[in-house]
Formats: sequence, structure tokens, C-alpha cells
Amino acid sequence: MLPHELTVWRGPVMIIAAKEIKDSLRNRWVTVIFAIFMLLALSVTFAGSAVSGTLSFPALASVITSLSTVSVFIIPLAAILLSYDAFVGEEEAGTMLLLLSYPLTKRQIFMGKFVAHSAIMVTAITISFGLSAAILLGFGDGYLWGKTLSAFGQFILSSSLLAVTFILISYLVSVRSSEKAKAVGSLLSIWFSLVLIYDLILLALLVADLGSTAQVIVNAMMLLNPTDIYRAINLFSTGTQFGGVALLTKSSLSSGLLYMLLSIWVVLLAWLSQRAFARKAI
Amino acid sequence: MSELEPAVRLAGVSHHFAEQRVLHDVELVLARGTTLALLGHNGAGKSTLMKMILGLISPAQGQVEVLGQRLQCGERPTSIGYLPENINFYDKLTGHEVLSYFAALKGERSTRVSQLIEEFGLGYAQHKPVKSYSKGMKQRLGFAQAIIAQPKLLLLDEPTVGLDPQASQFLYSKVNQLRDQGCAVIICTHELNLVEPHLDVAMMLGRGRCLAFGSLAQLLAQSELGVQITFNAIESVVSKHAPLAEFYHQGDLRCSISQRAWLIQYLTRECGIFDFDIKNPCLADIYNEKMTQMQSCNEQGLSFTSSISYSSNWSLNNVTP
Ligand SMILES: Nc1ncnc2c1ncn2[C@@H]1O[C@H](COP(=O)(O)OP(=O)(O)OP(=O)(O)O)[C@@H](O)[C@H]1O
Ligand SMILES: [Mg+2]
Repeated sequence: MLPHELTVWRGPVMIIAAKEIKDSLRNRWVTVIFAIFMLLALSVTFAGSAVSGTLSFPALASVITSLSTVSVFIIPLAAILLSYDAFVGEEEAGTMLLLLSYPLTKRQIFMGKFVAHSAIMVTAITISFGLSAAILLGFGDGYLWGKTLSAFGQFILSSSLLAVTFILISYLVSVRSSEKAKAVGSLLSIWFSLVLIYDLILLALLVADLGSTAQVIVNAMMLLNPTDIYRAINLFSTGTQFGGVALLTKSSLSSGLLYMLLSIWVVLLAWLSQRAFARKAI
Repeated sequence: MSELEPAVRLAGVSHHFAEQRVLHDVELVLARGTTLALLGHNGAGKSTLMKMILGLISPAQGQVEVLGQRLQCGERPTSIGYLPENINFYDKLTGHEVLSYFAALKGERSTRVSQLIEEFGLGYAQHKPVKSYSKGMKQRLGFAQAIIAQPKLLLLDEPTVGLDPQASQFLYSKVNQLRDQGCAVIICTHELNLVEPHLDVAMMLGRGRCLAFGSLAQLLAQSELGVQITFNAIESVVSKHAPLAEFYHQGDLRCSISQRAWLIQYLTRECGIFDFDIKNPCLADIYNEKMTQMQSCNEQGLSFTSSISYSSNWSLNNVTP
């Protein structure tokens, strides 16, 4: 048992992951991302106090809703900034060529990076939003432990899945790009389309009021966009129904199904990006 | 058994990127414990040939055998050190961290890292980010990376770019040390006078074809290059000694290598001249000759490479250009 654990720990995947984490932590962007997450968590938690001047906290549902409204923009952006140069950066620097001349498989290189970037995002999400939950439970009145923990647990879990989704989208683009700048450009347009344009189109469809068929189409289209699935999950977890995505909650979808859809996205993107990397010529 | 196999054996290797032919029917046998200088113009295919030996590119045609192991598609040989051209190491990490990373990937101990850093004179900067390193320092780091795991085959793609003269000497002394321990070395370089004293065999590539292969002596023997001898008042000496006339050419005496001894004897004994400059053809002269020949052959639409035999076992070699 022990020797096996040691080989995993000292194996190439972990060596690469450790180096990627070290590299990322020296990146100014990552510090900024951590700071923004923290700021977001604290400002939403203390928003009520600032207005009233006394220490008062908003209702759990509105905390989660506010957090998810902002984090649906921030988390994908953070994931993109963290991982856009994972492949194209090493390609440009020539270190990918060198790594490939080592006794390593492409899968190990991919996994090493993936482990590192996911760990960074999950840690940032857990610490900042966990802190928010701890403050509510520690200082607020009338927050039920069970309900609060479950709502924040779901929020952290779905946020992590969203982050992983966008890490993998970044990998896919990174592997296929010939220059870092092009990778950033494509990824920012993907981000902009998924979190903003997509919903505007859906909204337009709804406003046009084309009857029940439009409703079905809109619901189906929401399930195709990971950021919309994320929004829906967090509306479910608090049981509130407002905002454009609230329409989804009227449909007969359960939150388990939404998690499954998000996981399918993760698996699909992992397969696609890994395949793109494996097929990439030198 | 595999210790007796040559370090590299290429048989009829060809490659093309899209429509462009990059390597054309290249043959090579490189024995262990030999240094090969891989020479050629920009875009000749040198780096591509190295990547092929590393198993990073599979040849469109032909076979690659490295350290007794036939490379199948996508397979990578072990015990190889490689320094790619134009590499930028992770510039946020320190020199020590970069080297430790590559050492760990090859399963080497951290004591080896400290030892190499000291040996390469990077001790004072080892905890500074690589971003702050000069070009030569980065190059030293790259070379240290290549030899960290005592390779049996070492591939260096333009290793002396940016190195100061002493650092280049140090690099070649390290290369020679490894070669003496049985490591086969392939150095691709444009700095011909630096590599000349250290090479065992040289291969000249031109537009993806092998133009010449052999030891320096063999290459010289194949070439039509001569020895140049100059001294003061050469014209008056030539006019007094008739036998010199046939060697006189544009202000100096030119002869083939085989005639050199006779000519020097004649000059010292018959003409009483002891102060003269002898310029023997060097690697750069051979290189220039081959490249000029290739260009003129290409202009005439002829094939320049017909019957070259490629083997680092040069006693068997009989090369006719
Ligand atoms: N990935 C690639 N895709 C397309 N063409 C390539 C690729 N790599 C190299 N080539 C082409 O192959 C030819 C040989 O390139 P290579 O890098 O092997 O040259 P080289 O001899 O190392 O030149 P240099 O002295 O400039 O380093 C060049 O014409 C180059 O344009
Ligand atoms: Mg090159």
C-alpha cells in the first residue's frame, strides 16, 4: 500500500501538478482572482450591514442568489485566466517539446496540469465562500445549520464544477491555438457569449412570446449552456424563483439531473481536450 | 547486447511537412562514444532530424533506431538528453526550481541539482527567477538540464548560442567527458570553428539531403580544397624558382594537402624561406565548398548527392562526392 502511494505522490503527474501550482501562485492574476473571490464573498455577506449600519445579514436565499449572480461571471473568467496558456504557453516557450522528449506520456502532462488548476480553483472557491458561510453561522441569527451548510455545500460544489468546465474549455482552446494572444481572444469571446449573449438571445425568445414551443426550446437551450445549468442549480438549492432562469425551475427538472448535466459537460470537455492534445502534431 | 548496438541508426529517413520535403533519404550510423556535428544552412532540416531521433516526429519513410531500440510510431526512447533550440524556461520559477523539476521528472536526486548548479556557475543566481537570467545563463541551465541524468545519447540543438567563450569551452569539455564515458553526442551548430576541435564525425545537410559525412580528415580528402602558403615578396621568389610557378595563384601558393610537405621542404631548402603562413582548410572551408557545390548543382538541375556512404566507422569509409 505504502510504496504504491509513494509512487503516485512522486509520480510524474504530481511532479507536474506541484510545478504548475508553484508557477500559478507566482502569477499576479491568481492573486487577483483570490482577492476578488474573497471580496465578493465578504461584500455579499455584509451587504445588509453596510446599508443599515448595524450588523445584520441577508436571508440565506438572497446570499446564495447574489453570490451566484456574480460568480457566474467571475468563476469562468478566473478559470480562463488561470489556464488559457497551459498548452499554448509551453508550446511557445519550447518547453512542451522538451517535456515530450522526457519519458512522460501526454496524458500525464495533461493530468498534471488539470490536477493543479482544478486544485487552485476549488481551493479559492472553498475558502472564500466557506468563509462567508462561517460568518453567517457564527455571527448571524436564525440561520439553520443544516440548511445553510447544504446551500453553501451545493454552491461550492456547483461553482467548482463550473470552474472545472471552464478550465477544460480553456485547455481545448489552448491546445488548438498557435499563439497565446489568440487563445485569450477566443476564450474571452466564448466567455462573453456563454454568460451574456446566450442569455440575451433566450430572453429575446421569451419576450417574443411564441407560445409553448418557444418555452420548450428555451428550456432545452438552457441545458446546453453550462453557465445556465449552474444558475439553475443554485436557484434550486434555495428554492427561490426569480430571474430569467427561474423559468427552468418550473419545469420538471430535478437538481440531481442538473448536476448530472454539468458533469456530462465536464466529461465531454475532458475527453475532447485530451484528444485534441493527444492528436496535436509537434 | 544492446551496448554494442550503435547509438543511432537511420535508414532511408524521409519526411515532409504538408507538401514541403524536409528530409530526403537520410542515412546515419552513429557509434557510441562519438560526437557528431550536424551542420547545414537555416532550414536544412537539422532540428527536424533531431526531433525524429527523439521520437517526437515519426518519419514518413524509413527507420529510426535509437540505442538499439527500433522506434515505433509515437514511442520515445529513454536515456536521452536533449537541449532544444530557442527554449524559454518557466520564467517565474527560479533556476534551482526549474532544474529540480526536470531532475524529478527523470527521477534524479536533488543533490545532483545542487552539484550541477555549482558546476555551471549558476550558484549566485539559483534562487532568482529565470526571467532575470541572461541569455547565456538560460543556455547553461538548458545544458545542465540535458545532462542531468547521465544520458547515453545527447542531442544539443545550437547549444553555444549566447554563450561566452569560456562557457562554450566548458560546454565542450563536458561534452567530451560524456563522450569518453560512452555517450553518443549530436551537436547541431552554426559555430563551426567552435565545434571543429571536438567532433569525431560531421554530417552536412543541405535542403534535407546529406551532402557529406565523415571525419574531418575524410572530408578534407574528399574536398578539392588546398593549402595556402603566403610570405613576403612572394612574386620575386616565384620568378626566381620555376617549380613554384605552377602553385602560384593570385598572390599566394596553393597546393593540395598531399603536396604540402614537399612544398614546405622546397621553400625552406631551396629558397631559404622560413617565415611563412600556412593556412590549412578548416571545417568552415569544407562547409562553404559543399554549400556552393549544392547551389550550383541545384541551378543546373543536377543531383549532388549520389553515392555517399554514411557510417561513423570511418575506416570502412570511402567517400566520393
Ligand atoms: N512544424 C513545422 N511545420 C511546417 N514546416 C516545418 C515545421 N518545422 C520545420 N518546418 C520546415 O522544415 C524545414 C527544416 O526545418 P528545421 O527546423 O529542421 O531547420 P534547421 O536545419 O534546424 O534550421 P535552423 O538552422 O534555422 O535551425 C524548414 O523549411 C521549416 O520551414
Ligand atoms: Mg534548427
